[in-house]
Amino acid sequence: MSNYHTLTKKFWNQQQKIAPYLFIAPFYILFIVFMGYPLLSSLIMSFYEMRGFQSRIYVGFSNFIDLFNDPIFWKSAWNTTYFAIGTLTLQLPIALILALILNSKHVKGKNFLRLAFFTPVLVAGVFVAIIFNLIYDQRSGIINNEFVFLGNEIGWLNDTKYVMPAVILTGVWQWAGFNMIYFIAGLQGIRQDLYEAAAVDGANWWQAFIHVTLPSLRPVIAFVVVVSMIGSFQLFDLPFILTNGGEPADAGSTIVMYLYKNGFQFMRLGYAATIGWVLFILIAIISIAQLKLLGIFREE
Amino acid sequence: MLNPFDRDSFPIGKAPIAMLILFMISSILLLISNKKKDNSLEFWIFANTHYDEYQARLPLFNQLYPDVNVELINFGGTMHDKLLTALLSNFGAPDIVEVEITSIGRFLKGAIEEIGFMDLRPLLENEGWMHDLIPNRFTPWSYNGRIYGIPHDLHPVVLLYRDDIFKTAGFDLTKINTWDEFINVGKEVTRDTDGDGNIDQFAIVLDNKTESDYFNFLLQRGGGFFDENGNVVIDSDIAIDTLEFYSSLFNEHKIATPVYGTWHGHPSNFAAMQDGKILSILAPDWYVGILKSQVPQMAGKWKAIPMPSWEEGGRRTTTRGGTMIGITKQCENPDLAWKLIEFTYFNKEGLANRFETTMIIPPIKSALDLPIFHEPDEYLGGQRIGKLFIDLVPDIPPRYQNPYWSEASDLLNNTIFEVVTENKSSRTALIDLAATVRIIISKDQMRWSIKEKNP
Repeated sequence: MSNYHTLTKKFWNQQQKIAPYLFIAPFYILFIVFMGYPLLSSLIMSFYEMRGFQSRIYVGFSNFIDLFNDPIFWKSAWNTTYFAIGTLTLQLPIALILALILNSKHVKGKNFLRLAFFTPVLVAGVFVAIIFNLIYDQRSGIINNEFVFLGNEIGWLNDTKYVMPAVILTGVWQWAGFNMIYFIAGLQGIRQDLYEAAAVDGANWWQAFIHVTLPSLRPVIAFVVVVSMIGSFQLFDLPFILTNGGEPADAGSTIVMYLYKNGFQFMRLGYAATIGWVLFILIAIISIAQLKLLGIFREE
Repeated sequence: MLNPFDRDSFPIGKAPIAMLILFMISSILLLISNKKKDNSLEFWIFANTHYDEYQARLPLFNQLYPDVNVELINFGGTMHDKLLTALLSNFGAPDIVEVEITSIGRFLKGAIEEIGFMDLRPLLENEGWMHDLIPNRFTPWSYNGRIYGIPHDLHPVVLLYRDDIFKTAGFDLTKINTWDEFINVGKEVTRDTDGDGNIDQFAIVLDNKTESDYFNFLLQRGGGFFDENGNVVIDSDIAIDTLEFYSSLFNEHKIATPVYGTWHGHPSNFAAMQDGKILSILAPDWYVGILKSQVPQMAGKWKAIPMPSWEEGGRRTTTRGGTMIGITKQCENPDLAWKLIEFTYFNKEGLANRFETTMIIPPIKSALDLPIFHEPDEYLGGQRIGKLFIDLVPDIPPRYQNPYWSEASDLLNNTIFEVVTENKSSRTALIDLAATVRIIISKDQMRWSIKEKNP
């Protein structure tokens, strides 16, 4: 009897150790098959180049060296960074301002407006790009025809100077409302007594914003900034359709677009894998730096 | 009693068990549907118009071959990416596939034995089709002496022009033979029509962001990016001179306007054509087809002349665009696949039907005298446009294919823009471009030759 008892006890102890792994096994199996293995093989691939459809050649670090000497890669990297800066300095402040307005007690029809600003994110990027392609058209587009005060017709998609600003503005239209929702959620989580205490101390609206709202929003801001930066560096479909594959003269090319072109159009899979890994390292560095700057690793 | 659908007795609830059952059913269905039947053919297509045509005529094929099950799949523009993945993974490719002319290059990279398409030359020769196809149209689909695809089309190019506006201005374009003559007339009709100080009516529309129209001119003159043997010839005197001429149409003669929108078939461009801002356009047969179907309200306003030539008596056409049909090496029944190719590409009723819906002239010599190609076309004011295209067929220049076309054309697009809008010199731009592409190619060849020496 006691023997049986110890045996079942042993079994229960054992299964208690194994069970959690079994419960999460579906994730790990899928992760290893669909993420881990491809990641590893793409890392290996970055040291090879295809020689046709079946065989490949070991090239050492030569893909990485080529990449650092590739002017189109640098152009694409700059365009992508430009978009990220645009997101940071234009899209997120607009999202925050929208959130402040639509969280205010004095605004009527808040639910409708929130929904209205949120809806662009529900539209597939490809459709957005096609519509904005018509809107930005230099000679027949709405912008140049309606906003005549801008002066001479702006070659939004024809002039290398204006291509990325056009992409950034489209990004603002599509994503500002989405980020607004995060900020509204953050604003609603701020305790009212903090504002009351600030008011007792004689703080005006601006001082309350700087000393209460912003510090309280820090985790939300950190999340939105990091996620937006990752999204910005992975930018692909919007400029790909909007600028017809980066035209003119790669002014609309991004890192992922250049990766796609190399992998699928030029059949240079090793080089494409290299771009992917360089992009990964870039995003990792920027994300960690941002989290550090925003104090997310700090002990509260 | 234990009931799996009862929330209390089944610990996880109804939803997961429902999902589990659905998962099992769909897995079984997938397994069954993936089993390929012996007499089935999978055919991938990227063009909607082609898909509609083949889908409509499939019942006729099934009358001839009742036990063959043909599956047509239209993937649109992403088809080439899917095909590349299927050929790389050596799994999941169709039996038959149509490939677009600017996309085939990437599929010809590397060792010949690794190319994913069958060489169709033996089949063409055995079945006696070789002599009936226009030889120049094999060049886009051939490499290293092998033929990987049957041409779908010829795509000769004409100059479409606004007959009404030129007539009112007092010009008869049918009397124009050379580009010099066209430029002279063009300068007369390019003008400011509403007096606001901006020119709003241009003699011709050309693309300044991609190689498309420049390549029209370059091929017309017998040039190209690569020659027959795969050498880079984009820095040849002909190429440099042609680019200088191309840029002069915008900058010196000022008779050309950049394309509205992203390409000639963009809605903004159609609108500009309709509003009389664009008076002429270089148009292949398929472009006339899309004009007719997408802007029917312009009927009667446009007519066509052969492309003006570089010198009196010179070549009066070029070629733009194209599609091939090929059999992949993953095909298990190439003979059956060939039967479907014969039906879709060589059947004369089918070719007549194709012309009716898309204006596309087939590359089959014996089909060129079909009556439908010689009938007047109401859209073009009763002009016999099919006959005009067919008369130009002997002049269609070859367009040599190369595995590096995608990289080369991507860089050429940038060069065109830099020369036309940023005033870079044609000579420096093309010499730089040729050098860059030669480096890309020689680097690959060096790597491959090392591999061959030390396998």
